Amino acid sequence: MIEAQNLTRRYGDFTAVHGISFSVNEGEIVGMLGPNGAGKTTTIRMITGFLPPTGGRVTVAGKDLFESPREARRQLGYLPENVALYGEMRVEEYLAYRARLEGLSRADAREAIGDAVERCLLTDVRHQLIGTLSKGYRQRVGLATAILHRPSTLVLDEPTVGLDPKQIIAIRELIRELGRQRTLLLSTHILPEVELLCNRVMIIDRGRIVAEGTPEELRERSVGNPAVRVTLKNAPDAAAILGSVPGVAAVHPGRSSGIEGGWLVEHTAGTDPREEIFRAAVARGWVLLEMARERTTLEDIFVRLTTHDQAGEAAAPEAPVEVSPALVDDGNDVDEKETAS
Amino acid sequence: MKAVWATYLRELRAYFFSPLAYLVLFFFLVINGITFYIVVASLSDPRSPAGQPLELFFGGTFLFWLVLLFITPVLTMRLISEELRSGSVEVLMTAPITEGQVVAGKYLAVLTFYAFLWAPTLAYAGIIAYNAKVDWGPVAAGYVGVLSLGALLLAMGTFASSVTKSQLVAAMITVALLIPLFLFGLVESLFNGDLAKQVIGVVGLASHMEEMAKGIIDTRRLVFYISWTWFFLFLASRALEDKKWR
Repeated sequence: MIEAQNLTRRYGDFTAVHGISFSVNEGEIVGMLGPNGAGKTTTIRMITGFLPPTGGRVTVAGKDLFESPREARRQLGYLPENVALYGEMRVEEYLAYRARLEGLSRADAREAIGDAVERCLLTDVRHQLIGTLSKGYRQRVGLATAILHRPSTLVLDEPTVGLDPKQIIAIRELIRELGRQRTLLLSTHILPEVELLCNRVMIIDRGRIVAEGTPEELRERSVGNPAVRVTLKNAPDAAAILGSVPGVAAVHPGRSSGIEGGWLVEHTAGTDPREEIFRAAVARGWVLLEMARERTTLEDIFVRLTTHDQAGEAAAPEAPVEVSPALVDDGNDVDEKETAS
Repeated sequence: MKAVWATYLRELRAYFFSPLAYLVLFFFLVINGITFYIVVASLSDPRSPAGQPLELFFGGTFLFWLVLLFITPVLTMRLISEELRSGSVEVLMTAPITEGQVVAGKYLAVLTFYAFLWAPTLAYAGIIAYNAKVDWGPVAAGYVGVLSLGALLLAMGTFASSVTKSQLVAAMITVALLIPLFLFGLVESLFNGDLAKQVIGVVGLASHMEEMAKGIIDTRRLVFYISWTWFFLFLASRALEDKKWR
């Protein structure tokens, strides 16, 4: 269980996070989305106790992160955005060091290391120097570090970055499994991953939560009219006819350019024009090549919520100063370049 | 305590697994070998005043201070700077460990490595003992002096390492802190007046080593060393904590 209340973080005059409140319950995987510089990493660093907030409080598994930091941190497993490890250590040695740091007894440590190595698919490289590992393996060593002491709460910042497709599937499976018994907060840029893994999504923009809910809820809430995608052959008068189908609000030429006869049919919520479209096609002898309900992807919602045109910029209350996002980027991205070396 | 131990072990193995450490060890022994040779050779000259070779070896030569001026930054510059640079400080400080424990573990590791550097010089005492009579009391006091002096210098280096993510800058800060400290000992004789002499007598590093090598252990000086060591380590842990607020 993670509970954040009114978390605020200022860097000088710039406020990176504006009083964010949320909670993540046990057995739940919550995804955190947001464009670069939205305050995701700052928020995560405050939740893990690395960065003290300017205001607000955080409890992890019921322990206040600032009143009893050691107890709270013991319950916490953290995979940072930039996994920095000690290159001169071997994988098992590093994990043994982490186990000692977490205060595990010798016997517990041996068992925990074996378990973490196996779960994070590190068996092949367990005796290899970390400095010689590829990015994907390092990422998994970072993940092994996070789950090593069997914390009740996990915070993973972009856990599948740098993995190959096969490993991604395996690690997602691991995350799903971990999320069943634990509290899991996941930050990622990969939107399909969020749809696959998360029970709940939080979209952060400019230091505020702009949307929160299950992926389904978000889809329903944020998009105007539902739509049906139709591809017709031999239908010269399609636009007019489709427009006259009951419930249809608007007809647009097909989005997928290059396809002759593609149409996007917007209709009012609660109606389903597909049957009528089919009948109209049969009556007029059109060839119906394709008809499907247009699913709003999380990507659409994400783009809609986090794109700011000039007008939106002016209308938004307390809009941060133009130069400010650069400041956040600075703090977060500097390490990124450096860890690469 | 376990967290300090974990940090200590990791840091110590980092020393023994890095080529830099062996390079330092090599030069340290070469220069100390030369120092020892010069000291013994000059004392063998019948025209020179009588003296104890090991007494001169500990702090009696310019080379002794030069070696310390070099090895202190080289040994300490990596300690905390590297964690800050690579970003491993993030996973370190989110573990159940305090800043003070991190500094303590790392400092004890560098102090151990420093003691390890000096250990082979025990052979010099052995060589003297083989050829002449050695008064072991002053030799032991000399090592106490070397260790307490090293403790302070390394603490200063650890502090320098905690304020920057650049190892080079850390090394430069360390040198900048050490040079005036060393010079202070050298200008001792320029001062007149009882109070000034007394103050410098306690603070001056050169006279401290001179006395220790003669076998005089002055508790005032030990207290001076321990409290300044503690002070710099405290500053280091504060600096590490302060990094969070930026």
